[in-house]
Amino acid sequence: MKCPRCVQRIHRAADSCPHCGFTIADADARFGGEDVRLRRLTDSAGILRRGDRERVEAAMERISRRFPQLFVAIYTGALGEVANIRQFGFWLLNRSAFEDVAVDKPNAAGILITIDPESKAAGVVFGYLLDPFLEESDTFECLSRAHAYWLEGRYADGIIRVLSHLDGILSKRSRQARRDPEYFQRKVLPAAMMGDLVRRIRAGHQNQPSNKEITEVRK
Amino acid sequence: MRRLLAILSTALLLSKLTAAALQPALPVWDDAARTELEAAGWMAGELLVWDDSPTEHAATVAELPLDIPQPTAGEIAESEEAPEKIPEKYWAEYFAERPKSFLVDPQGLLGPVDFRDRLGFLGYHSSDSVIDLYVYVFKGEQDIPGELREEELMERFFSEGRPAVVIYYYMGAPQRSVLNLSPSLTDAVTPAEQRRSLENSVMQALKDAEPAGQIASFLVQMSIRIYWMESMLGGGDSNGEQISAVVRAAKPPEKRSTTMEKFQPVFDLAKPFLIPVSVIFGLVIAAIGLCFWIRQHARYRFPDIEVEPRLGGAHAAGVGAVISFASAALPPASQRDQVPDYLRRA
Repeated sequence: MKCPRCVQRIHRAADSCPHCGFTIADADARFGGEDVRLRRLTDSAGILRRGDRERVEAAMERISRRFPQLFVAIYTGALGEVANIRQFGFWLLNRSAFEDVAVDKPNAAGILITIDPESKAAGVVFGYLLDPFLEESDTFECLSRAHAYWLEGRYADGIIRVLSHLDGILSKRSRQARRDPEYFQRKVLPAAMMGDLVRRIRAGHQNQPSNKEITEVRK
Repeated sequence: MRRLLAILSTALLLSKLTAAALQPALPVWDDAARTELEAAGWMAGELLVWDDSPTEHAATVAELPLDIPQPTAGEIAESEEAPEKIPEKYWAEYFAERPKSFLVDPQGLLGPVDFRDRLGFLGYHSSDSVIDLYVYVFKGEQDIPGELREEELMERFFSEGRPAVVIYYYMGAPQRSVLNLSPSLTDAVTPAEQRRSLENSVMQALKDAEPAGQIASFLVQMSIRIYWMESMLGGGDSNGEQISAVVRAAKPPEKRSTTMEKFQPVFDLAKPFLIPVSVIFGLVIAAIGLCFWIRQHARYRFPDIEVEPRLGGAHAAGVGAVISFASAALPPASQRDQVPDYLRRA
């Protein structure tokens, strides 16, 4: 888990970045504090043609069908030189209201892909539902698949490649979670609980017999 | 003028006499040597050596008593008969069916080595050409029975399968050879070309004195001529195209049959396992297909795990990767380690 502004690692349940003090209030100050109404596929930059839109929507629909809890949203737009695509993605997924997403799917179940064709950068942000299951490296692998297409300006093809690879990773993580859910639970244990665990381990060590006692018993 | 001519002729005569006087004298036979040679028998150049006139010598020969038996009436009748016929016992082997071998010699007129060599050559020709060459071998003085018509035989045996040139070859008498073409070739190869091919081959054969050598030369030349026939077929006239189509259509079955024969033992060995293996193979394919279908239609769910909000975000704080596609010189591999800008080297 990294801070969207300073890209430093932050601990779980951090109210603000311990390194730069970033919170969503900083993002609100930059992009606006009000909720934004959007559709799942918002092509503000106008980089997708009509046929492309249909193909991309079909790929997004496929993800929703195979992972009934989740939805994918895509936003393309020119963010300007000042804006940071990580901060923007973080802010947008928290502040947007997707019109064409079922009510039973909160934004916490969303995966947002942001593409800025002007600065030629793209990023991925995901909700808390996927927090234990997705790693930064997973999203990097997905975006890497699209790099060659986006270099040539084939945005739709790149997005479809991203979604295809994401499909594979999510299905793999889902199977792993079904086999060993505790592994993923441990990853997101609150800091307090972790503290308790450490205390219990230490207490256990204290209760163990000393070497002297063991030697006496053997005699 | 007359005087001048007389002078010239006298001078010419004198010069000839002088030249004769200068030449060495001819050798002279003595009578003892002549008697000795005549006692030994005939002498080469006898008439030139002795001064006896031919008429005188012929009369001497005629006077000699002949001790040779005169031919009988039966022998005279036999000599006037038509050429020898092929014995009936060989008819079936010659003419009952399409020959299974390119070289038909039931009478064993070729020696084993020659037979093998000629058959090998014909086999090689067949593998190299789209037109097969069949050779029936007969004795030089034999004749094909009058009851059999060559055209009918060709129609019966060679109207199907690969096109063929059929040669009736007479040992020691290549000039008697007969050329026949299978029905698929008769329209395409002109009679003139057929005649040229045969004449050419006969000429080539006659250069050799030995019958075995003759047939070898004949076949080599005929094979070359067939190559030209083949070229003519592919040359582009309508008949040629038609025939070459026949040829192409006819060739694959031949190839397939040889391939089948080659792998026949394997097929025989695998036959008992064919059904079980097919069933297992089908089941495996079906299982793979089913797995694929299940994967495609599977629904995946994630367990609900409580996650405490971070950085004040109500829904999300999972900041994933960012990638730049500004330049091909900046590949994804170089962007893997995403660190703050102030930690990067300048």
